[in-house]
Amino acid sequence: MGPLVPQEIIGADWNLFIAFVVGIGFGFVLEQAGFSSSRKLAGMFYGYDTVVLKVFFTAAITAMLGLLFFSLFGWIDLSLIYVNPTFLGSAIVGGIIMGAGFIIGGFCPGTSVCAAAIGKIDAMVFIGGIFVGIFAFAEGYPLVKDFYMSGSLGPIKLSDILGLSGGFFALLVIIAALVMFKLGELAEKRWPREEY
Amino acid sequence: MTIKNMIFAAMILLGVVIAMVPENTTKPYKLTAEEMLVEVQGAAEMVSADDVAHWLISKDPSLQLIDVRTPDEYQKFHLEGAINVPLSVILKDEYRDYMDQGVKTNVLYSNGTIGSHQGWMILRQLGFENNYVLQGGLNYWFDTIMNPKEPPVTSPDEEFARYDFRKAASGVFGGGNAAALAAPTKTKASKPKIVRKKKKKAPAGGC
Repeated sequence: MGPLVPQEIIGADWNLFIAFVVGIGFGFVLEQAGFSSSRKLAGMFYGYDTVVLKVFFTAAITAMLGLLFFSLFGWIDLSLIYVNPTFLGSAIVGGIIMGAGFIIGGFCPGTSVCAAAIGKIDAMVFIGGIFVGIFAFAEGYPLVKDFYMSGSLGPIKLSDILGLSGGFFALLVIIAALVMFKLGELAEKRWPREEY
Repeated sequence: MTIKNMIFAAMILLGVVIAMVPENTTKPYKLTAEEMLVEVQGAAEMVSADDVAHWLISKDPSLQLIDVRTPDEYQKFHLEGAINVPLSVILKDEYRDYMDQGVKTNVLYSNGTIGSHQGWMILRQLGFENNYVLQGGLNYWFDTIMNPKEPPVTSPDEEFARYDFRKAASGVFGGGNAAALAAPTKTKASKPKIVRKKKKKAPAGGC
């Protein structure tokens, strides 16, 4: 039966409203998990706090298993799910810029809004920086356009490239995630920080 | 066992299960057998040859004729503007945007009506709209539109009106004699131009 909106079981007009409700829930959870603290986010880089890794990988695994089991039960048609197209070159460079901004600023775009909502001034400055970046990118777009569009691979999936079934690849992701969780905990013991 | 370890164990267990089971690649039917029975009995999927002739002559842009016969048969003769989607490939992804759409009126045809009905049944059960079947198929098309027979003099006026229309239509389509049947049309098989439905923008992810 799913996905509900592309199948028009729920009208497309509800999209924004659903996004609004999900967005509020997302922001609430981010704030409750302590993600509005830039020290917590930067801790991922320095190794004293790896909760960011745990939260986002847990979310990914939950969603992944949910989709695969829903598909297994015939509740959702995975071929109708939008897969973000991959642009390899720009994804790598963009990832590096994003990661650097993450460490320097101590927020990612979503958590900065969360932190600004509870009145953190550094987050408001960060949001200002986001808009400066957006402006600079938009104005400089003709310069970077070729690179931006380079390495287009279309909506590919790792499991397809590797020739594995979706289910088996999911198991590998779960094992990798658990190993990373364990490494994260070791890092927390290795580089502890009393107060942050 | 702590709660954390239990959650880890559950995740691995679910992962093992999902890795073992084959992927579900079935295309689930949207209409139940009962719903299909109602549709079939209503015969609302049929469009008459006269209607199709009328749409063709008036160049109705919403009409999309779909020839479900083999490419060979399509090459020999096909209706004007028809695309060739043989029954064997009707479910291929490349034709999905043709079959599952809400803009055009698809009219499936084959020589009789068996092939077109087979295609229509599958498409309809998948929940696709706007697919119809040419009543009587190409055979009936030749009998009525291309070579209309004059009705007996005692027939009601509508019969004569229909006959006049068919005679005129036959002229447009180059029919009227058996030669039209023998002469293969010179038109090159037009590969269907695929107009992709604009994918809905997914909400940008990330945090």
